[in-house]
Amino acid sequence: MENGIGYIEEYFKREMSAGEIRQFEQLILEDPAFAEEVAFYLSARQVAQDEGEEEKKGRFREIYRQNPPARPLRTIRRSGWYIAAAVLAALILGWYLYQRPIAPGQLANRYIEQHWQTLGVSMSSKEDSIQTGLLLYNEGKWQEALRQFENIIRSGNPGPDLKKYAGIVALRLKDYDKALVYFSQLTNYKLYANPGLFYQAITLMERNRSGDPEYAKRLLQQVVQNDLEEKETALEWLKKL
Amino acid sequence: MTSITSLLHPIDRKLTAGLLQGGIHKRKAEEQLFTNYAYFIQEGIKKYALEEEDAFDAYSDTVLSAIGRITDGSFESRSSLKTYLYQIFHNKCVDLLRKKATNKNSVHRTLSIKDSLFSLSDTARSVIQRLVDKSDWAVLRQKLDELGDNCRKALLLWADGYSDQEIATSIEYKTAAVAKTSRIRCLEKLRQLYKAR
Repeated sequence: MENGIGYIEEYFKREMSAGEIRQFEQLILEDPAFAEEVAFYLSARQVAQDEGEEEKKGRFREIYRQNPPARPLRTIRRSGWYIAAAVLAALILGWYLYQRPIAPGQLANRYIEQHWQTLGVSMSSKEDSIQTGLLLYNEGKWQEALRQFENIIRSGNPGPDLKKYAGIVALRLKDYDKALVYFSQLTNYKLYANPGLFYQAITLMERNRSGDPEYAKRLLQQVVQNDLEEKETALEWLKKL
Repeated sequence: MTSITSLLHPIDRKLTAGLLQGGIHKRKAEEQLFTNYAYFIQEGIKKYALEEEDAFDAYSDTVLSAIGRITDGSFESRSSLKTYLYQIFHNKCVDLLRKKATNKNSVHRTLSIKDSLFSLSDTARSVIQRLVDKSDWAVLRQKLDELGDNCRKALLLWADGYSDQEIATSIEYKTAAVAKTSRIRCLEKLRQLYKAR
């Protein structure tokens, strides 16, 4: 058949009318040589297509070899989401921890650790029995420090500082009843800034016997109402208790 | 095709437009498509426990298959190109695991020719199918390589769906008509070489 390939191509490009299509298909059935030509056309196209794809694969291989695949953008975005989710979870957890009630003992402990790790010692070189007690306290010798402060108290005319120091040391020694006595006595002093009531509240919170937290809360309310020393801390604690 | 591609993400739209444009645009779009999702290869290695070479083959075949479907209009843009490619890639990996011993090219070839045969009537199709099955693919490939550079290139571009005008531009024939005549001559020459084997 003359120009057989052009004719076959017209069929597969769907450029024939319905009558021409019927004629084409009839020719396949009647003419084995033509059928072979059609089969060759399809096979040749397939082999050329395979070869072309092999060449493309070669190009792809070269691209792959020269540029190892970059981290996909969506993964980065996804990581971003993971980070955002983690931050949000941390914020929620933080908010939850901040909002949930804290045990009174925990608040008291934190205050004691922050404020009474050591007690202020005068820079004076003058020998002073109160300074000796403070030095003993700062060295961790709490029993000796308490003995020192109580000796001075017994010797008469003790000032509010001595009551405060004795109360603090007693509290560190977990002698809560004694601490409450000293802080209560401190409260009776007429001072410009008297922390006695607040210190009693701390002692009660630390002791944490039945009824102690409630009483401590009432003392803290008094501190706030009377605008006493450590009012800000009392306010903060009242929100948490 | 415009109404379909307009539903795609702009990047996908640009890629499909490039593939449909043909010529140098098609080549660039093919390479871009390959590069965009080449990380699938790593996924093939990790998720399907394939060797890197097998994962590369699966991904390359995926890209080629997608290019074919986009250019013949059977890609319907119901999903993003990435999702579309991943579906094909997943199937290729699973196939590869199942048929590791089989020749992938011959499987692909049969399927592809079947597509063409569908346009024939049942009786004509069975005749042609029998004859195609008798083809000596290795010899045919060898003869294609013996044709000479221009002839081979013209046939490869034709089989890849390039128009005669694009073939003319690519091989520097004066006109599309010259490209068509040359291409048909090349095909006849191939047939003679094949028959003389």
